[in-house]
Amino acid sequence: MTIVVLLSAGRHPVSGAPVLPRMEAQAIRIAASLGEAVGLHAGPDAEAVREALGLGLTRIEHIALPEGLDPVPALSARLAALAPDLVLAGRRSQGGAESGVVPYALAEALDLLLIPDVVAVSGGADTLTLDQSLGRGALRRVSVRGPVLATVHPDAAAPHAYAFGKARRGAVELVGAAATGVDVPQAIVEERPYRRRPKLVKGAPTGGSAAERLKAATGEGGSAAKGRLLVEPDPEEAAREILAHLRQIGVLAGPTKSNS
Amino acid sequence: MTRPRRDPRAERASIQVAGEARPRFDRTARRTGSGRPRRDPRAERAGQRVAAEARPRYDLSQTVRFDAAVITEAQPKAAAAASPKILVLDDPAFLVAVVPDAPGGRLSSHDRQVLGAARALAGREGGVAILTLGACEGVGPAGADRWLPLDAVEGYDPATQAARVAAALTALAPRHILFPESLDGGDLARRVAVRMGEPLFTNAEVVAANGLVRPAKGRRVEQRIAPGLLSTVAPDAVAEYGGPPREARPLPVEAEAPTQGSKRIVSAARVPADPATVPLALAEFVASAGNGITDLDTFRQVVAALRATPGASRVLCDAGLMPRHTQVGASGTVLAATCYFALGISGAPQHLQGVAGCEHVVAVNTDLHAAMIERAGLAIVQDAQAVMPALLKLLVQEAQGTGDETA
Ligand SMILES: Cc1cc2nc3c(=O)[nH]c(=O)nc-3n(C[C@H](O)[C@H](O)[C@H](O)COP(=O)(O)OP(=O)(O)OC[C@H]3O[C@@H](n4cnc5c(N)ncnc54)[C@H](O)[C@@H]3O)c2cc1C
Repeated sequence: MTIVVLLSAGRHPVSGAPVLPRMEAQAIRIAASLGEAVGLHAGPDAEAVREALGLGLTRIEHIALPEGLDPVPALSARLAALAPDLVLAGRRSQGGAESGVVPYALAEALDLLLIPDVVAVSGGADTLTLDQSLGRGALRRVSVRGPVLATVHPDAAAPHAYAFGKARRGAVELVGAAATGVDVPQAIVEERPYRRRPKLVKGAPTGGSAAERLKAATGEGGSAAKGRLLVEPDPEEAAREILAHLRQIGVLAGPTKSNS
Repeated sequence: MTRPRRDPRAERASIQVAGEARPRFDRTARRTGSGRPRRDPRAERAGQRVAAEARPRYDLSQTVRFDAAVITEAQPKAAAAASPKILVLDDPAFLVAVVPDAPGGRLSSHDRQVLGAARALAGREGGVAILTLGACEGVGPAGADRWLPLDAVEGYDPATQAARVAAALTALAPRHILFPESLDGGDLARRVAVRMGEPLFTNAEVVAANGLVRPAKGRRVEQRIAPGLLSTVAPDAVAEYGGPPREARPLPVEAEAPTQGSKRIVSAARVPADPATVPLALAEFVASAGNGITDLDTFRQVVAALRATPGASRVLCDAGLMPRHTQVGASGTVLAATCYFALGISGAPQHLQGVAGCEHVVAVNTDLHAAMIERAGLAIVQDAQAVMPALLKLLVQEAQGTGDETA
């Protein structure tokens, strides 16, 4: 089975130093559990992704690409040549535009099946089983046939520890420079330092007074304000009340049928 | 400012009642000209009050002549509140389309926020069109002028779904299209974007007619752009629509040929989260024990029977009675749960910080004055040691009772 992990030149969210994005490190762990994988990076410099060699890859293919060009044509040309069974990518880049469109553009260009937000992959070359995160720990287990491109969700298993010896033994190969001139027309974007905006207070009435917003923010305005207080009820009565309340909220299913 | 000099004699002469032999003066008559009448600040303030608003608001630009009678408008408010008029937009200049997640046929709060953002983009002339997959309720009050109900795709087939949405959007030809930046919504937006070959502006935190703003480069910069065709809106960034309900007039859907999905997805099954193993920060329903609980075996049984995720206060974790990863609070886990069930927890500030995000709290405590009791939506002042077995008994009874009925 051929597995390709797409690697991007990320930036650390706090320090701004070049770093391999965590989701790609997690993707390497998933790939390593299935078999031999190769990394693929398109960009001006492969040094940025060398770290991936210490995390479980033995070989990285590098497509030299001038800064600021769209990597999708170069990547899709190389992927078409490699014809992998599984392509893994992070769900968002880190340190760039962070829009997460590249995997979708690749899937469209290569007519690959795309499964987003995967936390685990198992199976062989013909049928793969992917566990997709639905948030809050729930999963969707998808079985697919044929080549598939999957993006990795942060809830996947933590990446392997970095091993210096492996990083030294691994190799970065230059597999040719991409044709230049595929410059995408960029929309006019104005950039300025990020400004934090006040977070929306949930449940605050629109146009309410400051006191009402404060109440909503501290939770006093919610269910607590109109809370029910039962002093020294019968334990059975208390139990009934609790169950009825939990069912009304919807966190507890109705009376279940145990023997059916 | 100069004041004219008073002339007491002339004043007196002016109020003299005519036609009487004896001089008589009418002192009740309002003096005009000289002298200043007394101000009535309360009446002035009341006159500046804007009617038809529950919260007192004053229009300070409106100066009331203090000697004139204050005119208070009759308040048409009660009538308006009784029957909220449905806003009808007959001929919108352009459309702003919204494709919500609508899990389970209901708009999530994120979906409502996206509709609020669309309303802001549409302004006065534009209309908001909502495009739902499958049934959906309450789209009019959330701010939709037009409604395009598409058929849902059976099974899990995101590519076919995206194709259907893209085709419908191309036919509708709106000026802007907004998606929620959620797991499903973000996925659909990107698929539609590559299908239509249009750029996508993701994760917008500010949505206004003069520009969209998103964070980039690890939140070090923000990028501003004039609203394009496709954008996704970040959660909790834009306020929901708060105006009167709108029409949500159904638009005709031309029945497109059901595009046959690829047979590459063999099967897809939902695996619900196992409450016993799901990380505490992700759990939906957490039941916690505090220092007031001595019988932890029963507590564990109750947690399992309620299908909750177990939590604990720091006292129990320090004592080694509960594992450290179950600790709730400032130095433990901050919860994002919908419901928190606290048994024998006093509600120290460090503990309550972990619960601040929970919508519903149920507390059992022997102390009427515990902070947890005050925070709870359902507070029970009773011995938790007695309530836990009662809960277990009731749950077992219910299970058997319904079992007998069906048998
Ligand atoms: C720096 C710092 C960080 C901390 N971080 C955390 C944290 O992250 N999480 C955390 O939980 N704590 C934290 N604490 C500790 C916190 O201040 C409290 O000490 C702790 O939360 C109290 O736990 P408790 O409510 O279980 O115990 P107690 O305060 O002892 O409360 C026990 C409660 O149980 C009730 N009770 C007793 N018997 C019964 C019964 N039979 N039935 C029903 N109710 C009964 C009592 O009325 C009482 O209200 C922190 C403290 C510090 C100083």
